[in-house]
Amino acid sequence: MADNNNDDGSIDRLAVMAEYEVSRRTMLRAGVLGAGGLGLSALLAACGTNNGSSTSKSSASTSTGKAKHGGNLILARAQDAVDMDKTMVFSNASIWVYVQIYETLTTGSKDGRSVEPWLATSWTQSADKLSWTFKLRPDIKFSDGTPMTSADVKFSLDQASSTKGGWEFINSAIASVTAPDPQTVVVKTKYPWAPLLADLACPSNGIIPNNYGGKSKTQFYNAPVGTGPFKWSSWQKGSKLTLTKNTNYWRAGLPYLDSVAWQVVPDDNTRNVMIQGNTAQINENPPLATVAQLESASGVTVTLFPSTRTDYILMNEKFAPFADVHVRRAISYAIDRESLVKTVLFGHSTVANSLFMPTVPYYDKNTPGQTFDMSKAKAELAQSKYQQGFSCTYLASSGDSTDSAIAQVLQASLKQLGINMKITNSDPSAVHDLQNKLQYEISHSYWTMDIADPDELVQFAVLPEGGGHSFETNYNDPQAQAVAKQAEQTFDPVQRQKLYTQLQTMLAESAFLPALFYQPLPYAMRSNVKGFFVAPTGLYDMGVVSMA
Amino acid sequence: MNYLAFVVRRLISLIPVLFGISLLVFFMIHLVPGDPAVTLLGSHATTSAVAELHKQLGLDHPIWRQYLTFLNHLLHGNLGESYQYKSSVTSLISQNLLPTVWLIVAGVILAVLISVPLAVWAASRRNRLADSAIRTIPLVGLGMPAFWLGIMLILLLSLKAGAFPASGFGTGTLNHVRSIILPGLTVALALVPILVRSLRASLINVLQSDYIVTARSKGLGVPRVVLGHALRNAAISSVTVLGVNIAYLIGSTLVVEKVFALNGVGFLMITAIFNRDFPIVQGVTLLFAIMVVAVNLLTDISHAALDPRVRLS
Repeated sequence: MADNNNDDGSIDRLAVMAEYEVSRRTMLRAGVLGAGGLGLSALLAACGTNNGSSTSKSSASTSTGKAKHGGNLILARAQDAVDMDKTMVFSNASIWVYVQIYETLTTGSKDGRSVEPWLATSWTQSADKLSWTFKLRPDIKFSDGTPMTSADVKFSLDQASSTKGGWEFINSAIASVTAPDPQTVVVKTKYPWAPLLADLACPSNGIIPNNYGGKSKTQFYNAPVGTGPFKWSSWQKGSKLTLTKNTNYWRAGLPYLDSVAWQVVPDDNTRNVMIQGNTAQINENPPLATVAQLESASGVTVTLFPSTRTDYILMNEKFAPFADVHVRRAISYAIDRESLVKTVLFGHSTVANSLFMPTVPYYDKNTPGQTFDMSKAKAELAQSKYQQGFSCTYLASSGDSTDSAIAQVLQASLKQLGINMKITNSDPSAVHDLQNKLQYEISHSYWTMDIADPDELVQFAVLPEGGGHSFETNYNDPQAQAVAKQAEQTFDPVQRQKLYTQLQTMLAESAFLPALFYQPLPYAMRSNVKGFFVAPTGLYDMGVVSMA
Repeated sequence: MNYLAFVVRRLISLIPVLFGISLLVFFMIHLVPGDPAVTLLGSHATTSAVAELHKQLGLDHPIWRQYLTFLNHLLHGNLGESYQYKSSVTSLISQNLLPTVWLIVAGVILAVLISVPLAVWAASRRNRLADSAIRTIPLVGLGMPAFWLGIMLILLLSLKAGAFPASGFGTGTLNHVRSIILPGLTVALALVPILVRSLRASLINVLQSDYIVTARSKGLGVPRVVLGHALRNAAISSVTVLGVNIAYLIGSTLVVEKVFALNGVGFLMITAIFNRDFPIVQGVTLLFAIMVVAVNLLTDISHAALDPRVRLS
């Protein structure tokens, strides 16, 4: 959760965030060190020829007409992948690559709000709700030609559950996985567990060959094998990672491309130039500041895919004033989110009302989140023990322009309440560490989802067992915890919606984490790239992408 | 002048230098706030996950023990394993070293190719228009930040003219050469003003000395006197200036690497610092230290080659 924004603005899954954040931060820093400002981008764009280009603002275009086979696509990105170990890696840059190799039993729908069959074609649930039986799709082969069976599935899920210091929390409800016959897998849970289907779609539960295909774990992840549309080819770390077409792929006629390469191009301006010069076909996460200029370049399309990213203000409740709900609400009312979106994000985001994102199941658009109202803010502060105001310090990430803009806007607003907020800067790693150790007073961060179920977020935000100190705020509300736990064990969607609506309202009223805005995932691509679509979790399927 | 003995002696003196650097780097990077495990885990950094990763990465031991382990590995030629990439630092560095070395070499060659003729021309036209122009115009290069200059070069020579690739390092020697010219030029243009000024000043100095007057009075032409007699002597101080600047350059190619997507060790290092990937930071710092010492050594040797009076000792 650290924040990082600037760089790529990205987003994505949750965990991802983690590392990925890191990465992003990294980039940020690098940005600070060197490169470039907006002025440059404007200049670059001005240099492109200005024939109109089509820009779709929200959903991606699915391929129309007949897609062409062949072609080697280059995707330019700021950060390199770091590791292909699906059970350990939190870096988005890694996950977005390895989901082309490993596939999961289930998958999130395009809108992110439901779960669909993938390697499993169907499932049934026992009457006690503790046992799930999955039927596997027949005739699936790994890219090395060996058939995929239930033994591979059992091994893959068991590995994901038994890792330490990785993604094992996703599988914490799983009691056992058994393989009664080659096409059937039975998953037993420790207690009734509604998020199971979404959990199985988490990239950490991707299917790999039983016993790593006879290799050691390290050997395997150095040249991984899976059932996905692409297979491992080469990786020059820090520079370029290439996957080639899996000719044994099960979806008929796919993939279209011969190869996909993720090329590391740390400088934002250079990536934009590469898209304009067609030396790369997709630019992953151009800064929002450059979207308008990229849109005006010929042959370039920019798409802002809805993501699951929510940005919010962190207030450490170990700092006495923030333990007072009236102080937190006063601060939340004092934030002018509309103008933040306009000035900081160039209008490319929507104002948040809930900690849940609209792309997540059970989001409630009627959640009464605080909106900008200075008189309400003053009224709330008057009810607190701090009518005279107080002093606090905002911990900002150096080099992150979004973060510093938020800090400055907040500083000006809080001044009107008599709250004197100082701003200190640290590098993103240090900021993240201080937040994690609860050694800060007020700060900013964000969260992204990895699965199509709000439970991942709720575990970290509300439940103390998660060990995340409620997003590093030390917020502890037994009532909210009770609702959250009940929702985990409720299968009826209507009942579940009621519980999550109640929870979102409680969280909004407690103002323990004032939500700011929902940012999209920007991608720039050559106009001849067809079928590229990014799901709200940040995952994309290169198997359906073609180049005209 | 025994070059070999000199080089060996200098290499031996490198050992305490490297030891000191390893000590400094190790403790400084550990003093900076920020935790590699928290960075790796990002938003999923729960107390138990952080503790588990500390154990796996060996960060749960006292810092002196971690340093001893590091030293022990170092003595066996092992720089450790990256926390992020989970692969050996030695292999990561060797994968990324080539673009950085090419960049430094190309930058220096281009800087010399540009500076020497300009300095000679300026010195032989002292205080005339050409001299003033040569002394002032390159200063613009010194004032322009590398990221700006680099992007401008990409725009003009790559996107508009199509003469060079916009970024990357290409494959094969020929493509490496084509790819390195723009970044090399970016590096060179920052060095040129310094080199031109120093070389011009010493040339002017040398041109006033008695032996030059003698040579001229014997009837030797200006080109012969300047290029054959004056330049070699004037170059001695400029070689030192160049050496110092190369040493500085080694630590500062990052920006150029970033703009041109060269992905060399500079970029590897910065990423590692931000991610608190201690083994990479330590490995690259040691490498930089060795490179700086090597450049100094080369400077001394070329100094001796240019001036027979200099004794290598």
